[in-house]
Amino acid sequence: MAVILKAKREVVGQNVLKVDGLPLATGQPKFTLDMDLPGALVGKILYSPYAHAEIVSIDTSEAEKVPGVACILHYGNVPRVPYTTAGQGWPEPSPYDTVLFDKKVRYVGDRVAAVAAETEEAALEALRKIKVEYKVLPAVFTVEEALAPGAPIIHDEEDAEGIYDAKRNIAAAVDVPIGNIEKGFAESDVVVEATCELPYSQHAAMEPHCVIAYFDEDGRLVIRSSTQVPFHIRRVVSRVLGIPIHRIRVVKPRIGGGFGSKQEIILEPVAAALALRTGRPVKMALSREEVFVSTRTIHPAKVRVKLGAKKDGTLHAIELEAILNTGAYGAHGGTTLYNVGSKALPLYNKARNLRFHGKAVYTNLPVAGAYRGYGANQGFFGLEIAMDMLAEKLGMDPIELRLRNHIRTGETSPIFEKLGEGREGKPQVIRSCALEECLRIGAERIGWYEKRRNPRRKGPWAYGVGLACAMQGSGITGVDMAAATLIMNEDGSFRLLVGATDLGTGSDTVLAQIAAEVLGVPVEKISVYSSDTDFTPFDKGAYASSTTYVSGNAVLKAAEEVKRQILEVASEILEEPAEGLILAGGKVVSERTGREVSLSEVGHRAFYVANQRQIAATASFACPESPPPFAAFFAEVAVDTETGIVRVEKFVVVADCGQPIHPKLAEGQLEGAVVQGIGHALYEEMLFSERGSTVNSTFFDYRIPTVLDVPEIEAILVPSDEPTGPFGAKSIAEVGIDGPVPAISNAIYHAVGVRLTRAPFTPERILAALRTKDKERKG
Amino acid sequence: MRLRGVLRFHWARDVDEALSLLRAYEGKGAILAGGVDLARSARTDIEGLIDITGTGLSYVREDPKGLRIGATTTLSELLFHPLSREYAGGVIAETLRLVAYPALRNVATIGGATVSAHPWADIPTMLVALGAEARWRNEEKEEKASVEELYKTQFRGIFREAILLELVLPHWDGVFVFEKIGRNAGDIALLNVCAGLGLREGKIAWARVAVGARPERGERLPWLEEMLLGKEPDENLWKKAEEEVKERIKVGSDRRASGEWRREVAGVLVRRTLARAAGKAVK
Repeated sequence: MAVILKAKREVVGQNVLKVDGLPLATGQPKFTLDMDLPGALVGKILYSPYAHAEIVSIDTSEAEKVPGVACILHYGNVPRVPYTTAGQGWPEPSPYDTVLFDKKVRYVGDRVAAVAAETEEAALEALRKIKVEYKVLPAVFTVEEALAPGAPIIHDEEDAEGIYDAKRNIAAAVDVPIGNIEKGFAESDVVVEATCELPYSQHAAMEPHCVIAYFDEDGRLVIRSSTQVPFHIRRVVSRVLGIPIHRIRVVKPRIGGGFGSKQEIILEPVAAALALRTGRPVKMALSREEVFVSTRTIHPAKVRVKLGAKKDGTLHAIELEAILNTGAYGAHGGTTLYNVGSKALPLYNKARNLRFHGKAVYTNLPVAGAYRGYGANQGFFGLEIAMDMLAEKLGMDPIELRLRNHIRTGETSPIFEKLGEGREGKPQVIRSCALEECLRIGAERIGWYEKRRNPRRKGPWAYGVGLACAMQGSGITGVDMAAATLIMNEDGSFRLLVGATDLGTGSDTVLAQIAAEVLGVPVEKISVYSSDTDFTPFDKGAYASSTTYVSGNAVLKAAEEVKRQILEVASEILEEPAEGLILAGGKVVSERTGREVSLSEVGHRAFYVANQRQIAATASFACPESPPPFAAFFAEVAVDTETGIVRVEKFVVVADCGQPIHPKLAEGQLEGAVVQGIGHALYEEMLFSERGSTVNSTFFDYRIPTVLDVPEIEAILVPSDEPTGPFGAKSIAEVGIDGPVPAISNAIYHAVGVRLTRAPFTPERILAALRTKDKERKG
Repeated sequence: MRLRGVLRFHWARDVDEALSLLRAYEGKGAILAGGVDLARSARTDIEGLIDITGTGLSYVREDPKGLRIGATTTLSELLFHPLSREYAGGVIAETLRLVAYPALRNVATIGGATVSAHPWADIPTMLVALGAEARWRNEEKEEKASVEELYKTQFRGIFREAILLELVLPHWDGVFVFEKIGRNAGDIALLNVCAGLGLREGKIAWARVAVGARPERGERLPWLEEMLLGKEPDENLWKKAEEEVKERIKVGSDRRASGEWRREVAGVLVRRTLARAAGKAVK
């Protein structure tokens, strides 16, 4: 659907061709492994078969005899440096509870050793020949087991830092009261409570984790990686291996998807250590099964939401409790936990009495980490189902209930100040919010009122519509910083160097559009290079919905400075003050005389003719606040009451991401997030054996939505104008995943009257709920 | 790719050559057609791959005995063949559309699906219901058996030394239909049903019903087929069939679905397939 932009602009707001579209579409080698290095070794990892065990001994003598084996690393021959794999800004909020190789393993898939060999076959044979003697320890696979008195302690190492309560297996905890929650519920006319559970799921990025590490001709370590965080890799590898930062270069080529999984620094220190030990390039690429078992997952969560409201629907008290399973290591545990509350609770800011509390708990299961949504999807799952229950109890339309309570422009929430990135946040006022319009348009497109009044029934198929609302952020307040360097060539074109990491989202194109708009040139005149820690300025990386807002603001500032310099040179040529000159259409024009000078002339003069200098600028933007995008989600489902099958018939998502820089890409982000959310709602769940090993670690058995499953999705952008955003823009990457699960659950409830609170909503779970309801009805 | 020990690839010109090669490998050779199952195979001992797609076994034709389908015919070729679309009310196309994805159907063969016969697969359920006959050859002779009987034997051992030549699907004066439930499009079945009916003078003259992915492989329900014979097709009969199935079907649990759910839903799918087959047969 077409968007209406506030102001007519030449490049921003236009669906320009993606700057990397042609090479990607024509299969040009662009990705991490599309580079052959002579003499590269193949790196492979030996994983723990046990969920919890001590390594009594490790014998590599037979493995070392395998022809072609160059190096074997394990706890006995590498330095022990605690760190976090989380890939966050410094100082990292996640606990330092990981080392390169440990004497203890904490989940099936934990790394025990790594081999570098001439061939993959030799590396695999060596892995088979490493003899490891384990002392198996009792393991815990649920948060309840992990929190029980006397539970085995997963992190009993003495050198770990930043764990909230290691003896009780609590990686992080939070308890933030605002007002008086008990009094708030007592004063409420209506109280409802919902407990929702989201299981383990996988990012399922198309490109598995991979890396190449080598030393260049100057003896500097080069890491070419499929990553979202090149600068954090440089810092973390420096810490783990003791190599100074200036001796490390990290290159991020094209990335085949990340969704948070590549914010984690998993393979890079291992590959670098193998390269360091052997002096040879080392290539590592995980199989799909390894990605499932040994990388990262969503944070499985149990979220309990209790709402108290007055008769008119005004919320008076909200209690949100989140118990996260962070798996064997605590990467992103605390920050994801904080985000459950910090993203969900401000949405309904009319409630004066709040309490957010919870824990991120260690278990002996795969490691949870950053995943698109980052706690917000867990929070809104509970909150939006509870809102549906509240609307029903009040006899109020669910849209009306949201309209009565949601935050608006000029308003704030105490949560912004209380909850930040794993610590206290900062006060923030909402400067743009079009959620009301999103709800109105969404209701119209799905046919809300008619379908709510007259739910369809066709044979065994019952139809229903449900909705959810959500908000996210745009970067991390007070933490995130991005920089951009813009350099002019003599022909009037530009090079834009950004540390921002386009992971398939199209952010290179968005950033080029921002620069092109300021400089009055088409996007084709901007060559974007991202990212290389040697050649591009710092950027926190692609996470927290930050690139358009944080990196985009840096590009905007750099472009404005370059524009100033261009006008300065043009002023010399035209012999007029810069204030009377206009930069547009690839030239500088005098407002007064109409005389003009091309950018090429400006470039040539600056390079070769007079007052010679390089027209260029580097600018930084530190995130002073994090303006939330808002979205309303409407699902229409059909439920087969005899088998429990659910079909999503239609999905409407209407979002306010400020002024969209590239509407088509923004819609694509929404559509993709909705499809991922449908996967969480209906199919996706990692399953584990009694011993804690992942049993469905392939796409054969772990189902993700394919194009054949995608229903009709209408993604609509309702622009607001965010005054702090580049050209009024806010983020769009994550908000789209926050709503599908509760919207589909609420639609199922409307269709058949059963509340599904444990995702995924499989035919079996739905049929069981229907049969329970039948029995209750019969009494 | 797990076939790391493969040393040689052979392009067999005819079935005799393929059989000869198969024997020469003494158990370490594997027949390659679509390669879909071979790629997933856990076998690490395979040294030689013998490609049989050039041996003239890709065809769909009709004769008085029925529809003859060559073993290396791909699922896509079969799906879009005019003869298979006309056969038994279009059940072949109806089934194959629900098997995996187009890209896999373009390489997977009907012979591969018959021989691998995974318990969760859709094609075995259809073949059993249809009374398909399999013809194969080993170095000594050509043999044949109904697929249903074949599946009661250690059939995988047979095809270590033999090559499936073709399937013969008998003509039916009636209609078959197929339904499955998977977790999403392209998934293996949590449960599948293939049912067929023939009507004479308003009564059921014959009935065949097979249920698969229970989680065991597709098997017919002879007690149900017998119960249906001679009855007038109507809603009450289908309801009775559903109840019988829920009462008597052998189902089990696996990580994909519980036996309890399969029991209930098997009855529903049988009722629905029978009703739909009867409706189509009347038309």
